[in-house]
Amino acid sequence: MHELYIAECIVKSVNSSLPRNVAPTLVTQVRVQVGQLDAVVPETLKFSFDAIKQSCGMPRAELLIKEIAVRCRCRDCAHEFGIDLPVFICPACNRGDVEVLQGRGITLTRIIADEPEGETHGNTSYS
Amino acid sequence: MEIPVIRDVLEESNALAKENRAAFDRHGVFVVNIMSSPGSGKTTLLQKTIPILKARGISCAVIEGDVSSTLDSERLAPLGIPVIQANTEPFGGDCHLGSHMVQAALKYLDLPSIEILFIENIGNLVCPAEFYLGENRKVMMLSLTEGEDKPTKYPLMFRECQVCLLSKMDLAPHLDINLDLLESNIQKVNSAMRILPISAKTGEGLMAWLDWLVNER
Ligand SMILES: Nc1nc2c(ncn2[C@@H]2O[C@H](COP(=O)(O)OP(=O)(O)OP(=O)(O)O)[C@@H](O)[C@H]2O)c(=O)[nH]1
Ligand SMILES: [Mg+2]
Ligand SMILES: [Zn+2]
Repeated sequence: MHELYIAECIVKSVNSSLPRNVAPTLVTQVRVQVGQLDAVVPETLKFSFDAIKQSCGMPRAELLIKEIAVRCRCRDCAHEFGIDLPVFICPACNRGDVEVLQGRGITLTRIIADEPEGETHGNTSYS
Repeated sequence: MEIPVIRDVLEESNALAKENRAAFDRHGVFVVNIMSSPGSGKTTLLQKTIPILKARGISCAVIEGDVSSTLDSERLAPLGIPVIQANTEPFGGDCHLGSHMVQAALKYLDLPSIEILFIENIGNLVCPAEFYLGENRKVMMLSLTEGEDKPTKYPLMFRECQVCLLSKMDLAPHLDINLDLLESNIQKVNSAMRILPISAKTGEGLMAWLDWLVNER
């Protein structure tokens, strides 16, 4: 169950990505991309995030997870290919020296938050 | 408002791992992260490996990862080397060691006096594969009783590791395991994987494992 740990990492990432005037309570949506090679179960990650968001001061945040398929490049013949099964063999030359281009890692891609109070009319100061 | 970001969620975890690695490099410590399912034989292998390394004049230390008990550390205590227990329970009972836990353990180790540091990760074939701790090499162990299908079921672990120790080879005559199929399944996932059959019980393959350690260092 490393999804709970990853959910905590997502919260930390969100917190440190928010502009100073945007409180975590204003966050309504958090989008992440999860590689298919990562052993992360999206439902479990979402469940974990929902379980901690209240105590992390982001009660309204909804986590949206996009899974990223695995794409590889053959180091022998430079052929690029996607895989559905965990078989890292180049379909062009049948060799296995294969580099993973995509489908590994967890990336925070977008945060959606309500406008901070008193700043809805731009940042104009009336004082 | 939309705040676009492109940020590795494990950024902080990886930054700590890099700090660990810098400390290891500064003191010339070679670090091996050993991972497997529960009970594949990680602690038993360390019990056999460390005395031989010691006899060859190579100083070792171990960070023992476990969720809560100190049983594995107690088994290693007679070896007379530094063994630091890293329990994940106070950190939330995680199923893997995190770079922050390794960093916490380093406070108790005298790195300049250590040549090889083994990290025995929590017994789990899934979660530990995800996290970089600052190690030089990732080694996994698969015991013969676990089945030929494991590379396909847990590809990340097999992708991440440089060596797969096939443990409990002494049991082969009693099992129906097809070793050729297992090896070909490993190669489909990671063609560069070095496969080392071993038995901690009979000593089979121990020398090849030791040679690998000494050569990679
Ligand atoms: N037959 C046989 N049994 C072994 C061998 N190596 C370990 N075992 C047995 O397997 C069981 C588990 O071994 P451990 O060394 O505790 O396994 P581990 O991977 O450290 O387990 P966790 O730390 O709980 O994940 C013990 O009963 C060992 O005696 C071996 O080479 N052959
Ligand atoms: Mg053990
Ligand atoms: Zn190719």
